[in-house]
Amino acid sequence: MATETEALVIGGGSTGCGIARDLALRGVDTTLVERGNLTHGTTGRMHGLLHSGGRYAVSDQESAAECIAESRVLREIASHCVEMTGGLFVQLPADDDEYFEEKLAGCRDCDIPAEVISGEEAREIEPYLTRDVERAIRVPDGAIDPFRLCVANAADAEEHGARIETHAEVTDVLVEDDQVKGVEIRHESGPGKRSHHEPGTTERIEADHVVNATGAWAGELGAMAGVDVEVRPSKGVMTVMNTRQVDTVVNRCRPKGDADIIVPHETACILGTTDVEVEDPDDYPEEQWEVDMMIDTLSELVPILGEARTIRSFWGVRPLYEPPDTGTTDPTDITRQFFLLDHADRDSLAGMTSIVGGKLTTYRLMAEQITDHVCEKLGVEGSCRTAEQPLPGSEDFSVLRDYMEEFGLRSPIGRRSTERLGSKADEVLKTDDPNPVVCTCEAVTRAELDHAIADAGTDLNATRIRTRASMGNCQGGFCAHRIAALLHPEYDEATTRTALDELYEERWKGQRHALWGEQLSQAMLNHALHATTMNRDRYPAASDDGIEYDRFDAGPPTPEAAADGGRRDDAHERADSREDDHGD
Amino acid sequence: MSDAPTHDADEFEPVDVFETTEMDLRPGADDCYKCSTCDTSCPVAEVDDEFPGPKFQGPEQWRLKRKEDHEIDDSITSCSNCMRCDNACPSSVPLSQMHNTARGEYVENQRFGREALSALADGNPREALDIVREGQDGLVERLRNRILANYHTSAWLASFMPSVANFVMNFGPARWAMAKTMGVTSEREFPEFADHTFREWWAARGGAQVENPDKRIAYFHGCYSNFNTPEVGKAMVRVYEEFGYEVLVPPQKCSGTPMFANGMLGDARRHAETNVKNLAAAIENGAEIVASCTSCSMALGQEYPELFDLDGIEDVAAHTYEGVEYLRLHEDLEGALGEASVEGSEFAYHAPCHARNQGLDTQAVELFSDLDGVAIEDVGDSCSGISGTYGWKEEKYDYSMEIGEEMFEHMEHAAGETGMTECPTCAMQMEHGTGYEIRHPLELLEEALVAGS
Repeated sequence: MATETEALVIGGGSTGCGIARDLALRGVDTTLVERGNLTHGTTGRMHGLLHSGGRYAVSDQESAAECIAESRVLREIASHCVEMTGGLFVQLPADDDEYFEEKLAGCRDCDIPAEVISGEEAREIEPYLTRDVERAIRVPDGAIDPFRLCVANAADAEEHGARIETHAEVTDVLVEDDQVKGVEIRHESGPGKRSHHEPGTTERIEADHVVNATGAWAGELGAMAGVDVEVRPSKGVMTVMNTRQVDTVVNRCRPKGDADIIVPHETACILGTTDVEVEDPDDYPEEQWEVDMMIDTLSELVPILGEARTIRSFWGVRPLYEPPDTGTTDPTDITRQFFLLDHADRDSLAGMTSIVGGKLTTYRLMAEQITDHVCEKLGVEGSCRTAEQPLPGSEDFSVLRDYMEEFGLRSPIGRRSTERLGSKADEVLKTDDPNPVVCTCEAVTRAELDHAIADAGTDLNATRIRTRASMGNCQGGFCAHRIAALLHPEYDEATTRTALDELYEERWKGQRHALWGEQLSQAMLNHALHATTMNRDRYPAASDDGIEYDRFDAGPPTPEAAADGGRRDDAHERADSREDDHGD
Repeated sequence: MSDAPTHDADEFEPVDVFETTEMDLRPGADDCYKCSTCDTSCPVAEVDDEFPGPKFQGPEQWRLKRKEDHEIDDSITSCSNCMRCDNACPSSVPLSQMHNTARGEYVENQRFGREALSALADGNPREALDIVREGQDGLVERLRNRILANYHTSAWLASFMPSVANFVMNFGPARWAMAKTMGVTSEREFPEFADHTFREWWAARGGAQVENPDKRIAYFHGCYSNFNTPEVGKAMVRVYEEFGYEVLVPPQKCSGTPMFANGMLGDARRHAETNVKNLAAAIENGAEIVASCTSCSMALGQEYPELFDLDGIEDVAAHTYEGVEYLRLHEDLEGALGEASVEGSEFAYHAPCHARNQGLDTQAVELFSDLDGVAIEDVGDSCSGISGTYGWKEEKYDYSMEIGEEMFEHMEHAAGETGMTECPTCAMQMEHGTGYEIRHPLELLEEALVAGS
């Protein structure tokens, strides 16, 4: 099977989705391929900070100025993905006065509104801050949902004629005569909307221009085309707290360092982060000390964190890049700027551009510059509209509604649903069918899930990132099966089960690093419920394969003896001797 | 500061995040692992399909809240504050504290006068009018709740002319009008006001008859023993004096129980200020605090420190006991009862939910089963259904009776034809459902132990 497209974007993170949208809005025939679901790589694995630019105000003023400008744009065009929490740079007694002043001056140089407040005022804003806080700088930081942002970009690209293929991994880049001609991909199922149990296919996509927006994986993709892309993947851990200990972004005001930021995100708080270079972005150790260190260090800033419940931790890989021969040894010193690598100029390989570095807050600006570049290559006229045109869901809407009257929902559920859906709330939530809450932790109703499933097929993780269902404190223990059940009868029982397993496993993955205290209780309860009701402990009698008795101990001497259920002296003796062996 | 992280448990405290309630209970949601045992133990959720249950009202709603988000779902007004969820929770989620706080916030949000005035002052008469118009929805219900919650005040007024009050309160046309205009059910008879209050009796007898600096208690009689059943208060005093205690009766107001249940935290706080001041003084004076009503002892012992930050409030909570509980702890009550006897009587005993929460649900049966002449039977662990003011509301009356059905049935099956309970409103419900006379355990103790009673 072979298809053609003008522009092919590889990578369904914020950059790739942003580029696909921009290209589609300018009328370019565009295809985007992503090997997992959208945000699968780095975008879905960040702390969700919408930078005011304050974090870069001393070290990288160019980035800082871009951040504040783009943050203002995103508040307008992506309002349903953004919560303007405000942010604080907090100075503790151990932190340097001089740096504080530099930070303040830097913010002002970059046109970032910044105001100094006393320790007492800071504690009025954030009562759980340590009593030791000296003073703070208040800046317009915010929180952004990278999942909704990407999904909205992809949806708008599709709306304007683009083709978006997830679970479609590039297996080869096609090069002829120093010219990239396209790629070969392998669809896990399909093509099209994902449906487990549908056989996978391969496809050859011929493209006039290929954009490598694979971030930390850009080196691997470059290698398929025979070019070197010197990306330096660097891992960082993020820990999700069960509730919001802070309602504004809290940064420690000191030069670079690990574990210096807390971002309130939806119902939770995300602690970040570390910065350690890794060889392979798909295979690196996730170590408990990283989590422990982060909670300990950030407890200096917000002591209650030491007592509070952690629901999971995850690691993300930054797509850091530095031009060859820069020779930086510490990854925290590598610039956060992005780089456009035109392989025609650089490697005499036409038809492909790589994009590396950068950060989520400026994804739109990056996409604009790359789209300009691609359009120039393709000879397409047309100007960028992404800074003015709201994303789907972010057209005019208000969260102040009478939820019971309009949607029949209790107010906190109606409010959370409306915040997530934005301008699509009426379309999705006004239903004549019963609309129970399926995920009670995050207040997600059946109508919202059905709407997401219509888009995501049987990929329940794709449904999860659209709705937040299963992302609360029970981590899917009480809702994963209820969500999966919504796939039926459109999808058969076996498909539904596979989809459930995949969601449940993904939820388990992050919890492995939070198994103490309350989350350990939660995990045990989840396991007990699922083991006893859905055979997650694989009780062999329920298995289709039959039981291999000889894999246990020798058992009673004859099969008849076992079947009659009666006592046998020799079996007895064996049981007795076993007890003795255990020494009790 | 030191280099070491400074997270000690002392810093974990509810703090002033939410303007109206001065409480941030989101960290309390950390303890919930969603097992839903609270929902299965909630008597209201069992009968009222519209009520989403304690898990939603408590940890879920708090976790979904944002700081600037003051809206509380109106379903909180359907919680009867029986507090069974507190007892059911295997993980110590502060459920009733969350409910009380949310209810307080809900009621606070409904006060529209201030907002309307400030809109007027800003030159927005239209907005002010809208605020008033919206606020009027439910105004009558709020007024009704305020009157029910402030039983102390009505009862105080009635105590000047109890017989007139008794007549008027249960006069058919008056009750019809109360049901129609205020939503107070006409199905129930108002409890009778006694012809004298406990405090009048106390003053008339010249206060304490025993002086003993080593054994002192301060009696928290609450409203009901004072205005309606002074015989319970008298029994309490006589039994304690029999054991050689000096009884103090400090000035006091309502414990706040009906106010918590109706979200009137402002009223409750004012009463609490008086109570805490006087009870703390009594503790200073060497007394322990003893209440005859299990909801009063619950309020002083648990809800006070959870909801208010007043000088001495922790002390008051730590020193509060229920009347029978205290004697069982400090005196050989079983020994004394072993030698006593009363004339044959059989009781159907119901443990109030609030007694259950304090671990007192078995004390009456354990204590009296060996008392000569007495047969006593527990009628089961269901809720009586009235939950203070809940069952007095027109729209809740049917639910209240449906919840009570199990208790009524068990009372009918029990051999005794007299009811027994520590809680005055449970007593109302028991009487209402069965027509039995209802006694307080302290009255039986008095009969058994105090000569000449």
